[in-house]
Formats: sequence, C-alpha cells, structure tokens
Amino acid sequence: MSRGNLFLTSSLWLIIAFLVIYPLSILVLESFKIAGSTGWGIHNFLEFFQDTYYLKTFGNTLVLSSLVLLATTLFGIPLSYILARYRQRGKTFFTALILLPIVLPAYAGVFAFVIFLGKFGTLNLLLMDAGLIQKPINWIYGLHGLVFIQSLHLLPFIVLSLSAGFTTIDPSFEEAAEVEGASGFRRFITVTLPLCTPTYLAGAVIVFLWPFTDWLTPLILGQIDFLPSVAYINIAYHFTDMHRKYMGIVAVVISSLVCIMLFLLARWWVERKKYTGLSKGTTSEGRVIEPGATIKFLSYLYMLFLAALVLLIPIVLGLAAFSRRWVFEPFPTYWTLDNFRVILMETPLLLQNSFVFSGLALIFGIAFGLPAAYLIVRTRIRGKDALDFVITLMLAFPGMAVGVSYLLAFWKGIPLATHWIIMPLALFARRLPYFLRMAHSSYLQLDISLEEASEVSGAGKFRTFLNISLPLLIKGVLVGVVMFFIMAFQEISTAIFLYRGGWETLPIGIFLNWHRGMEFGIAAAMAFLMIVITFILLLIIARIGGGILKAAWGPGVR
Amino acid sequence: MAFIEIQNLFKRYRKVVAVNHIRLEVKQGEMLTLLGPSGCGKTTTLRCIAGLERPEEGDILIDGKSMILGGFVQPSKRGIGMVFQNYAVWPHMKVYNNIIYGLKLQKISKQKIRERAQQVLELVGLAGLEDRYPGQLSGGQQQRVALARALVRNPKVLLLDEPLSNLDAKLREKMRFEIKSLVKRMGITSVYVTHDQAEAMVISDRIVVMNSGNIVQIGTPLAIYEAPANRFVADFIGTMNFISGEIVDMPRDSDTVYVRTEFCEKMRCRTNVIADTTLGAKVNASIRPEDVEAFTEAPHAGENLFKGVIAHKAYLGNFLYLFVTIGNSMIRVQIPHHIPQEEGEELYLFLNPEKCMILR
Repeated sequence: MSRGNLFLTSSLWLIIAFLVIYPLSILVLESFKIAGSTGWGIHNFLEFFQDTYYLKTFGNTLVLSSLVLLATTLFGIPLSYILARYRQRGKTFFTALILLPIVLPAYAGVFAFVIFLGKFGTLNLLLMDAGLIQKPINWIYGLHGLVFIQSLHLLPFIVLSLSAGFTTIDPSFEEAAEVEGASGFRRFITVTLPLCTPTYLAGAVIVFLWPFTDWLTPLILGQIDFLPSVAYINIAYHFTDMHRKYMGIVAVVISSLVCIMLFLLARWWVERKKYTGLSKGTTSEGRVIEPGATIKFLSYLYMLFLAALVLLIPIVLGLAAFSRRWVFEPFPTYWTLDNFRVILMETPLLLQNSFVFSGLALIFGIAFGLPAAYLIVRTRIRGKDALDFVITLMLAFPGMAVGVSYLLAFWKGIPLATHWIIMPLALFARRLPYFLRMAHSSYLQLDISLEEASEVSGAGKFRTFLNISLPLLIKGVLVGVVMFFIMAFQEISTAIFLYRGGWETLPIGIFLNWHRGMEFGIAAAMAFLMIVITFILLLIIARIGGGILKAAWGPGVR
Repeated sequence: MAFIEIQNLFKRYRKVVAVNHIRLEVKQGEMLTLLGPSGCGKTTTLRCIAGLERPEEGDILIDGKSMILGGFVQPSKRGIGMVFQNYAVWPHMKVYNNIIYGLKLQKISKQKIRERAQQVLELVGLAGLEDRYPGQLSGGQQQRVALARALVRNPKVLLLDEPLSNLDAKLREKMRFEIKSLVKRMGITSVYVTHDQAEAMVISDRIVVMNSGNIVQIGTPLAIYEAPANRFVADFIGTMNFISGEIVDMPRDSDTVYVRTEFCEKMRCRTNVIADTTLGAKVNASIRPEDVEAFTEAPHAGENLFKGVIAHKAYLGNFLYLFVTIGNSMIRVQIPHHIPQEEGEELYLFLNPEKCMILR
C-alpha cells in the first residue's frame, strides 16, 4: 500500500464524511429528537404511525408505487420486446424518443401535461369544440393522472432494463425451448421473461422508489397526500410548527429508509440470481426477428403512440414558451418572444446561477470521481469497497433527504448554509454516483497491461496516468462529465431546501413561477429552455460517445 | 555468471500461494523459459521480475542489484523491456510514438531517437508502418510493435509473457524462430513465459518447468525431454505411457532395474536419476509412444516383448497412431509405417529397455 494511495483514500473519506455521512446522520438524529424538550426517543416515529393522516400518506405512496410499477411493466414488456427483437426501420429513432424522458426533468413533463390535459387544456377544448363532450373530462387531476405522468417518466428505466435482458440472453436458451416444443407465447413466459428478471429488477427498483422521492408532481397536480409532498410542505412551510416540522423530518427519514432498503435488497437479489451463461451472447444484437406484416403494423402503432406522448412534452412547452395569454384556447394565438426576454434580460441571474453551481459541482465531481475510480478499480487498498458502497448508496437517497439534512447540519455548528457554496456542494454530493459510475466503468474497460507497459517503459505512475490512462479514458469521462452536468443542471429536490434570495437556479425559477401562479408562460419558457440546453448537451455526448442512442442510454447504464 | 537471481521468492493472492519460495538463476545472454500449466506461477514470477507485483518474501537481483530487499525498485527504474500477452500497444498512439515512448522519457536528442527507432523498426520488419495506428495493423504486426517497443531502449533484460498465444498457428511457428534469432543476435538476457511446450523447446536455452508455484525441473530442452524428473514433467512435455508397478530386481553394477507390472513379471527398464530406487518401490515404467516398436509377427523371443490388441487406430499423415491394450493397460504407440492389422486384431509391441525409464 503506497503512501500516495493512502493519502488519496483518506482525503476522499474525509470529503465523504463531511458531505455525506455527517449531514445524513444529523438528519437521522434530528428525527429522534422530542419536540419541545431536550429528550431523545422514537416518540416522533410512534406519533407518525399512530396519526391516521400520516399513515394514510404512507399507504398512498405505496399504492402509487405499485400502480406505477404495474403500468410501466405492462407497457414496457411489449415495448422493450419490440425494440430489442424486431428488425424494423426507424428503430434507433423510436428508441431515442421513447427513452428521452430519462434526461428530461420530471417537472417539465408535468407542466406540459397540465397545459395539454388540464381542465381547460388543449384536449378538452378540442373535444368540446367538436361537440364530443359537454363538460371537461378530468384527465390528470387525481391518482390516475399521477400514475400516468410518473409512468411515462419512468417507462424508459423499465424498457432499458428489460431490453438489456432481451438482448443479452444467449439465443440458444430460447432455441432450446423451441426445440423442446414450447413455441411463441409459452416460450416467452417460461424462458425469456424469467431469464430477464435480474435485469428487470434493476429497473423496477428505480421505478418503485420514484414516488417515494417525487414531491413535485403530486404537488402540481394538487395531490399532496403522499409521503414526499407532505414532507416538503411540512418542512418548507411549517418550519416554526415544531410538531409538523418533526413529522416532516420523519417522513423524509422513512422515505429514505424505504429507498435504501429496497435498493440494497434489489442489489443483493440481482447479485445472487445472476444466471450463469447469461453474458455469453453469440451475436452482439442477440436474437432479432423479422416480424409479420400485421405484427409490424401494430408494433409501429404502439411505438408511435408512446413516442407521441413523449413528444408532446417539448411541443406543448415550446408552444407555451413562445406565446402569451394561452388560456381557454386549444392553441396559442398570441406569439411572442417576451418570455425569453424576461428570462434572459430581466432575470439572467437564474441562468447564471444554474451554470455556475452545476459547473462548480462538476469540477468537484471530477476532482473527486477520477481518484475515486482509480482507487476502486486499480488498487487493493483497504476500505475501497466501503467507499464504492457509500457513493453508490447516494443513488438511492432522495434528493429531499440531502437537502433537508444539509439544512439541519450546516445551519448552526458549521454555518455553511449561509454561503452560496452550499448549492454546488449539495449538487455535487447528490449527483456524485453519476460521474463515478461512468469513470468506473471506463476504467474497468481499460486493460491494465496498457498502463503496465508504460511503467515498464520507464514512466512513473503519474506520468502513466497522464499519457496513457487519461487519453484512453477521456471518452467515458467526458460522457460522464456531460451527464453529470445535465443532472446537476436539472436538480431541484435538494436545491429547493437550500436556496436563498439570489441563489435561485432555473429549476427553482420554474417552480416559483408556477407556484406564484402568475407567469405560467415564463415557467414553460424556462422548462423549454432547460430541454433545449439538455438536448444540446446530449448532442455533445452523442458526438463524443458515438450515436444519439448511446447518449440517451448512457444514464441508464449504472 | 548469474545475471538475474531469484532468491526464495514467495507470493500469494489472499490465501492462494502463487509462487512458493523458488530459487532461480538466469545467466547473462541466456534465453530462459518458464513453462507450466495455467496457474503454475510462471506469469507471477515474471511479473515479480518486472516489478509489477510485490512478492511477500524473497529478493530478485538484476545485474547484482537488489530489486526488493534493498528498497523496492519501481518497474520504470528496472531497465527492462517487456512484451505483454495482449501486446498492450497503446491504441491512441501511432506505431512510431508507441515505440519511442520510453526513449522520450530519457534525455536523448531527437535525432538519436529517430535513428534508434528506425533501427528497431527495421529489426522487427515494421519499416514504413510508423504512421499507422495500432487499429490498422494485423495481430502479427501489433506483436512486432510490442517487441520493438520492448527492445528500443536496449534493455538489460527482456521479459516476454506468452507473446505468441494470440497469433494463429502458422504465424506463431514463424515468430518463434524470429524472436529467438533476434534476441540471440542482440544478446539480451531474456525470460519467456509460455504454456506451449513446443514453443518452449524451440526458443529456450534452458526450460524451467513449474507446477503449483514450485519449480519441478530445470534443464535444456533435450535434458527435459529425455530425462524428465517426474511423471508431471514427462506428461506435460510430450506424451508418455505410464505403466504402474513395483521394483522387483536391481542387478548390481548396471543401470538396469526390473519392474513388475500388471501384465508382466519382469519388465526391464533403465534407471535414471531417481535417487531412492529401492526394492519394492512403487514406480511407473514409462516409455514415449514414438519409442515403442510394433511388429506384425513376433520377431524373436526376448525381454519387453508383449502381445496386445489394437483398440484404436488412426492415420495422421506422417505417422500412424495406435492405442493398444495389454492386459488392462492402454499403451499409446506412434509408428512411422503402416501395419496391416485393424482395430480388434493382435500385434506385438517391443518396449525398448533402453528407452524405458522409471518415474514417480
């Protein structure tokens, strides 16, 4: 164990301790405090589970999670089968489109559907104009709308994990089933699907956890009786009401616990269940079938339907962004650039903050992630597995938990929360795994003998890193960098708890503009701008990593 | 004179012992091969010489200088050249830059670097390809780039880790001779790792046979083939028939022993270097398939002549390969001529006592 590596691990651990372990333990400690006294105990938790209201929010969230998982699975199985197995034109295009929601912020989708499917939204107005309905139909305000919007946002995760399964199954498994006499549907149910369970589970966990972390979608749809939304309202609006504050903190802790436990459970299960021989695909694309005409038509129709729903998001937001006073009309009639004038000229601070905070977070991310990836992949230093574990765990932590814990931890003792640096620091801590995973996986692909050859040739470790490792890693690292930036740029759940006047970012601007109910157009324009920036960054990834498809798939590869 | 000295080298990965206290000397200018099945510790030994692994115990001396106990010398400071199994040619550098990488780290004028690179490129037969990227080269050419890179700094020691295992059979055979003559011409002390016995026979001055972390035998290719130290070596290098039995007679003042086997009371064998040959010892009477003579009819009554039945018969072009059962034993026979008998028919085998050795 060399001295340099030892120094590196200890500094990384110090950072982790300060930015992850310390604030999160403060959060947990706080949940055990008894309001109005100096005592400790499980009092808060008891109260939470005895209160029928809070118990109901917990139940609601579970129901929502199950429904969303059910919906995404039902829609995802045929979709991923089509994408993975059928040979057809435009597959790349459809895949990219259907996977798009991964990189779009969830709130962009909500706003778009509020405009399009709202009470007097485009669809209702069109239907009423056509005389098909008398009164507007409630498309989205309610559990059904919540399930619909969250499912659309989460569908890509299921599709990614299932089609990864479909493409990597050794074709001979299915061929053997065919030879044994099981054909078509039966083979699919008895062989194909069961073999996909490990990969499916990886996606299913992400989907199931989402309702435990998403506070904003229910809030916008006027459905607040869900764990994260209640937590947000209690903490953000009733900070002075001790009881409600503690109930909020307990809600955050419980959501986090659910997330972490499920995440670990899935990880453990996937590790245990990895089928041997699964990775031995004979062809790179697996089994590809030429579908019959009817099937082909139906599958196109199906893909088109889902792609259209996804496409609605940027289209509707675009319409709203370039118009004003779009109310009670199916389509806007007054076109203007005024919204963008307001964003770019009157409040350039938001955009500036977003770039500065995300940029700083990114620099922290690289400075932390590259050495961490090096330690984890290339050394046998003690504690590296624990380091990897803690960082990966951040994937499962709700952004809200990070935000609240920073608020609690960096207020008194270490008054970091009074300085704007808390914003990039929190973004860095929250999005840490994204960059690390990417650097990690490209490091794994880098054959160690390439580095050894350099050392044997007379170059020291550091020079080897600069001359050999970095140039060969750069693609993966850059993709990770851009992905990290996108994620930091869109981040709201953590930032919403930490921002103060003058620190607002673009996502917070979107939220505030919606919240004040004044300038829906500006909120839409901001969301549209966000999508445009995301898209530009994605194009950059595609340039680096080769192919828009990879760009869209990248974040799903964990 | 020992140029590389390996003293009591011990290395383990967690609980698995990879190299178990081995001692070894490589002479100046010698081409030594570490040969053994996978997992025998040959690559670990090589990587310890390179400095890519740190042994738990022992020392390695190169040109009289301690590499470990006198303070660990980094691979970059050992003055060695190494060819990796997968070549490890850097894909982001042109051939020329790959080759001069190590030279550039030394304080040498640009002119000198160019001259030296040109020399080496011609030596390995890559002249004219310096501006290609590795991706545009064939496997054999990449192999030459790796070789050129290893030789360019005039290393004191050249290490080769199964350098030919990724090439196709024809090219592999050709490269064996090329590497050997190149290294011999330059007079570099080299250590070569392989699991291919034919490769080891062609390329080495001496072969070190290893098994599960230990050195089993050291010797010239001839010595190792003709007088293997034990059953493992005999089986690993070439093919050997083993007929288990026990020593029943040892006439004094002769190099002959008699072994009782399952099908014969007194089979005559030649003694070899096995020290503890005692009456009653359990041994294997051993003979190589090409040393067995086959006869259609009994030639003359005598020692070591047995009647057997052909179990399998295969024509392999330049020779005939037979599996013959004598009693319950199966003897492999390789003969350069045809015989009329078919499978299931009888023939006579003469196990030449001069070629019959006893092994443990």
